[in-house]
Amino acid sequence: MAVKLTSAGVLPLVLWVGLVAGAPAANAALGGAYDSVQADRAHFAASLKSTAAATYTVHTLTLQNGGGVKEFARPDGTVFAVSWRGPGRPDLRQLLGGYFDTMQAENGARAGPRHRRPLTVNHPDFVVESGGHSGAFWGLAMLPGTAPSGFSASDLR
Amino acid sequence: MLKRLWALGALVLLAACGGGGGSSSSSGTTTTPPPATLTNLATVTVDQGPPALNTGPDAYTQDNVAYVSVTLCAPGSTTNCQTIDHVQVDTGSVGLRVFASVLNASLLSAMTPQSDTSGNPVGECYQYVDGFVFGSVRAANFQIGGESVANMPVNVMGDSGVYATVPASCSSSGGTNESNVQAFGANGIIGIGTTTTDCGSACASGGGSSAAIYYDCPSSGCSAIIGRASSTTAPFQQLPNPVAAMSVDNNGSVLVLPQAPAAGEATMTGTLYFGIGTQTNNGLGSATVYTATTSSNPSGSGLITAIYKGQALDESYLDSGTSLYLFVDSTIATCTGSGFSGFYCPASPMSLSPTIQGLNGATGSAAFTLNNAQTLFSTSNAVLPGLGANPNVAFPDGAYPNSFAFGLPFFYGRSVFTAIEGRSAGGTVGPYFAF
Repeated sequence: MAVKLTSAGVLPLVLWVGLVAGAPAANAALGGAYDSVQADRAHFAASLKSTAAATYTVHTLTLQNGGGVKEFARPDGTVFAVSWRGPGRPDLRQLLGGYFDTMQAENGARAGPRHRRPLTVNHPDFVVESGGHSGAFWGLAMLPGTAPSGFSASDLR
Repeated sequence: MLKRLWALGALVLLAACGGGGGSSSSSGTTTTPPPATLTNLATVTVDQGPPALNTGPDAYTQDNVAYVSVTLCAPGSTTNCQTIDHVQVDTGSVGLRVFASVLNASLLSAMTPQSDTSGNPVGECYQYVDGFVFGSVRAANFQIGGESVANMPVNVMGDSGVYATVPASCSSSGGTNESNVQAFGANGIIGIGTTTTDCGSACASGGGSSAAIYYDCPSSGCSAIIGRASSTTAPFQQLPNPVAAMSVDNNGSVLVLPQAPAAGEATMTGTLYFGIGTQTNNGLGSATVYTATTSSNPSGSGLITAIYKGQALDESYLDSGTSLYLFVDSTIATCTGSGFSGFYCPASPMSLSPTIQGLNGATGSAAFTLNNAQTLFSTSNAVLPGLGANPNVAFPDGAYPNSFAFGLPFFYGRSVFTAIEGRSAGGTVGPYFAF
């Protein structure tokens, strides 16, 4: 998946990250450190490319099905947001870690007529947006309180 | 072609179990049938759904869901058959899926479980925007109207035995497990979207997946993700798009539904035609063709652009399997009533004018009237025109996502064509939508 970030803050600095072995898969990506990005890369058997922006780094995982996952990290390495896009919805338990159960609790079965509505969470400190149809899904999860200043949700595309 | 010569009344009797087509005798007639005998079609109903939904503590009735009936027969049999009603018509997914609970025991047990290279049965997980289903993959002779596919793989959702436990890698994609009629809102679903199979090249190698994930299911349970080949002819592995697998009229479909009165109505009857430009009843006419993304697009298949209030939303789609319009507009009031969170509740019916743009550059109006959801829901109508919701509770400024979803209400009063990837349909190669 091509890097779609085109906002003015993105610097044309591209780092190819090698397949670093031995990183413990302790933390999930969201809220985790750089080792969690490596854990996700291994879990998805994905390729990884990292791009530095002004106030954050984007780790782009290209999945085997052609889709992509982006992980947005602060300068200290902490992942404050993830986004996904592609033919399938990726393993969100892996990507969201402890936040997965919060998302599930917020999106239980609704009473009444079934309208297929996307998974969403709107907490002050944890946000999920998603959408699409079978064969074209996308979404994002973000920890707004930990995002660097100046970061906009539109940067997550 | 013989099927086309049958009178409709006889078709119901004769064709109900003739999915394989092997038992027909030749009439010796080869002339083109008159239009009245065309059988490349099925009656579509928008109603309150399977009666079973409206029973028990979680009783409810469905709305804005288009249903058809399909007939399944055990492979090789013309008597072990069943017609299943209230199967949802979904132009936003691919593959035929039915619930084990609605199948006669004799048919279910005779539907051949697919087996993998290890000799174990095959299971399948399939994702929808709000959850997933899981079950077995079994072959059956499939029939709808005068069309049929022999030995077609069907996802039998909520199947028992080794399939009773959903694999962790299936449920980890999030949302609810919809593997029962009550949670799903239909007895099954017939996915007739823009791709030829339900996973394509993504599942061709071991460990691959898309919205579809195939599993090796030994007696110890379904765990290992396996590769399955993508084919629209026998021998099948992945679930094919049932339309793509038909021997004729296999380049797409047309869903034709009548206009709905502004206040809605109890039920609606329309027609699903198979094929585009293949018969006298499924021509494009004056419809505009909007080509869509293919299965090789990193963002996914079946996407077009909607231009709404000056913004080009390039992850938009037409989807009969979504029961409402989903779009972001923070200037439109959402409902305040309990249980109506996110639905749009304009004070009076509101005319909206999104424009649709295909990858081919073609543009056209997709104008519609947005109605007050709470007013619509105050009736017992199953047809609720202009029902819409804002999917974007966290970022109501519209920063994300770039999508306008045109669900079933958009199909009311229109003929919407869905052309399949790689198939020429009315002079244009799919995938495309046209209306």
